Amino acid sequence: MVTLNIKRQEDDKIWYDTFHVEEKPGMNVLEALFEIQEKLDGSLCFRFACRGAVCGSCAMLINKVPRLACKKLVGDVKKEDISSLKSDQILTSPQSSKESNDRVLIEPLPNLGVIRDLVVDMEHFYSLVDSVQPWITAEENYDKKHLIEPATQKKLEKYTNCILCAVCHGICPAATRDDKYLSPAGLARAWRFQLDPRELEKSKLQRYNIVDSPSGVWGCDLVYKCVAVCPKKVPPTKAIKQMRRQISEK
Amino acid sequence: MIYHDVIVIGGGLSGLRAALEAHKKGADVAIISKVSPIRSHSVAAQGGINASLGADDSWKAHAWDTVKGSDYLADQDAVEILCKEAPEIVLEMDNWGTSFSRTQDGKIAQRPFGGAGFPRTCYAGDKTGHNLLYTLQEQVLKAGIKVYPEWMVTRLVTDGGRCTGFVAINIFNSEPDVFKAKITVIATGGYGRIYKRSTNSIINRGFGIGLAYRAGVPLQDMEFVQFHPTTLWDSNILITEGVRGEGGYLYNKNHQRFMKSYAPESIELAPRDIVARAIQTEINEGRGISNEYVYLDITHLDPQLIKERLSGIREISMDFAGVDPVKKPIPVQPGQHYSMGGILSSINGKTPMDGLYAVGECACISVHGANRLGGNSLLDTLVFGKRAGQHAAESIQDKDIPQDENLIKELENEKRFLSDLFGESGENFATVRNELKNIMQEKVGVFRNHENLEHAIEDLKNLKYRAQKIKVKSRAKSFNLELLDAIELKRMVDIAHVIATGALARQESRGAHYRTDFIERDDNNWKKHTIAYYTPQGPRLEYKDVTITSFYSEKREY
Repeated sequence: MVTLNIKRQEDDKIWYDTFHVEEKPGMNVLEALFEIQEKLDGSLCFRFACRGAVCGSCAMLINKVPRLACKKLVGDVKKEDISSLKSDQILTSPQSSKESNDRVLIEPLPNLGVIRDLVVDMEHFYSLVDSVQPWITAEENYDKKHLIEPATQKKLEKYTNCILCAVCHGICPAATRDDKYLSPAGLARAWRFQLDPRELEKSKLQRYNIVDSPSGVWGCDLVYKCVAVCPKKVPPTKAIKQMRRQISEK
Repeated sequence: MIYHDVIVIGGGLSGLRAALEAHKKGADVAIISKVSPIRSHSVAAQGGINASLGADDSWKAHAWDTVKGSDYLADQDAVEILCKEAPEIVLEMDNWGTSFSRTQDGKIAQRPFGGAGFPRTCYAGDKTGHNLLYTLQEQVLKAGIKVYPEWMVTRLVTDGGRCTGFVAINIFNSEPDVFKAKITVIATGGYGRIYKRSTNSIINRGFGIGLAYRAGVPLQDMEFVQFHPTTLWDSNILITEGVRGEGGYLYNKNHQRFMKSYAPESIELAPRDIVARAIQTEINEGRGISNEYVYLDITHLDPQLIKERLSGIREISMDFAGVDPVKKPIPVQPGQHYSMGGILSSINGKTPMDGLYAVGECACISVHGANRLGGNSLLDTLVFGKRAGQHAAESIQDKDIPQDENLIKELENEKRFLSDLFGESGENFATVRNELKNIMQEKVGVFRNHENLEHAIEDLKNLKYRAQKIKVKSRAKSFNLELLDAIELKRMVDIAHVIATGALARQESRGAHYRTDFIERDDNNWKKHTIAYYTPQGPRLEYKDVTITSFYSEKREY
């Protein structure tokens, strides 16, 4: 058996519920949440889709660390020790204890408003990301075959791997103090298009103008917390530094 | 009441592509989806998208492979369109920024896939679906197309045989509202989650197919269910065919490359139906590991190649099975993966109901026949998504804006239905759903026979009755998952019933439909499409000829 302590919220009411779930071998946190929703309390809510760490739906705070619920095994997280933490502390990596304490704390992803239980206001996050104009402005009369060097494609891939799960947003200190901050994901996406040889130069210039602001690349604390927690190994801080340099050199 | 000329239900690849094209052709179009578009199941597609880009390749070769792969059930006029339009549709995605993997000289790289005579599968590492989906979502965003995310469409509205819109529940407050459209496009994907073992996202419950079926639109070839040969043991997360395309071997517990005895020429790269049956046979006959899985081995490949081209697979194997495929073989077993069948739909995405279109996995056009080739489903979503979008935009000129009367009436009906749905009595939805999954897995799976299918149908009739009685206990206003579970379950049982009924009637083995009591393909009696209509007693079946253009049946050997 494993015990899940879950932060619940409906409108202004906030409370914690404790559930005991039979732990099956290889069970991940998302599966444990389904055990609860299907058998113990149908009113619990959370987002989900692929259950294979590719869709980015199930980001939440697990033992004070923002992570994808489907990607964390219950057997691993129940060994983490968070007893000495303050309630508002958020971690990039948890402290491990030798002995399993058989408890897991689940809370909604920080820095976004809570809609209910573990469902947060992702529309706010999307609007931040969308404001960097994350799209290619290709000419319709295009030369049909772009030739792109494999090395260039590999650089792009580092950033196209982002699944917009908002885990980075949840741990970002700039996002905590500035709700207009474009977010690590938004800025990483901006850089993905700046790197793309198919993108028009005038659109890249426009995009630099957008991110060149206190709520853009200059808002970042360069503490690499987003890099540490990204489930897809995307390095937003690196992108932010590159864009700062490009903007400064102009 | 919300109005748009064209509303697309579903924000995966086919839905986004349809919406984008309708927008380009001047229609006022919107997308409604139960998840944000980027969470759609298209995101999970791994291996690639087929297009005859190579100088030595041709659309005809692609079409031949597709028809043979389909076990001659695909409509060949539709296959020709699919293969002819493939190169253009892939290059268009490249122009919009899809991060396709590249050859040394900068061209789009292509890898070999099962059942294909040429390496024609374009790919973006092993995250092709993710990359295509994001590219389209970006273009939809750029176009400013309105998206209604996290709405659950619950009933289609018709007026004199024409679809005039639908009722949908806003998941944020559980309130129904009504949407009016000249044209509705269903692009809601597959139903994989009616099976216990499926690669599909948890959200893939086939609701769009169920919506159309209940509205009187026929379903085609539903008994053809693709089981992917290589899904990760237990969690059943997809392990792409690209792993075998890059040179992976399949071994049983005696370290035999058993595919050599099932498909001497193609070995691991035989089509999915053949490899899935081979693996299931090995397991059934005691040559699997723990009687549950076989090994997919790439330890002989260059670790650098694995890290570059199969990085997603490596991550999945390590996260969900604790196995690093660079060092150890991946434990795999067959699992439900794709629906060849779906809502009967034309080469322009039109269903037999005026004002209603269907594209993507939820539709049956039919380009995949009895067995889909890997790399053809992503292609299907884009080619026919685009065609449907264009055709829809062109036909709105001749259509009047629908009358409100029936739309309002159905909204009232939905409100009544919802208020009756809440209560304390009745069974738990999960109990009934799990039984459904077990029935389908055990009795309507890789191997089928008369007795099992008959039992399945009896069981399903019983489940249908039980599903009707389920009450929703949670009164939560927003994100009431239990409410959605209860609504979706009813249509899941409908779909299962159609699949089992079609499978029982079809007394032959063709493609993915394998009957142990009729092991041969029977072209004289069964080279035809199954068409299923809803009746309160259960599905009523009719049959339709296959469209043949230039390819004639041969014995299917690999």
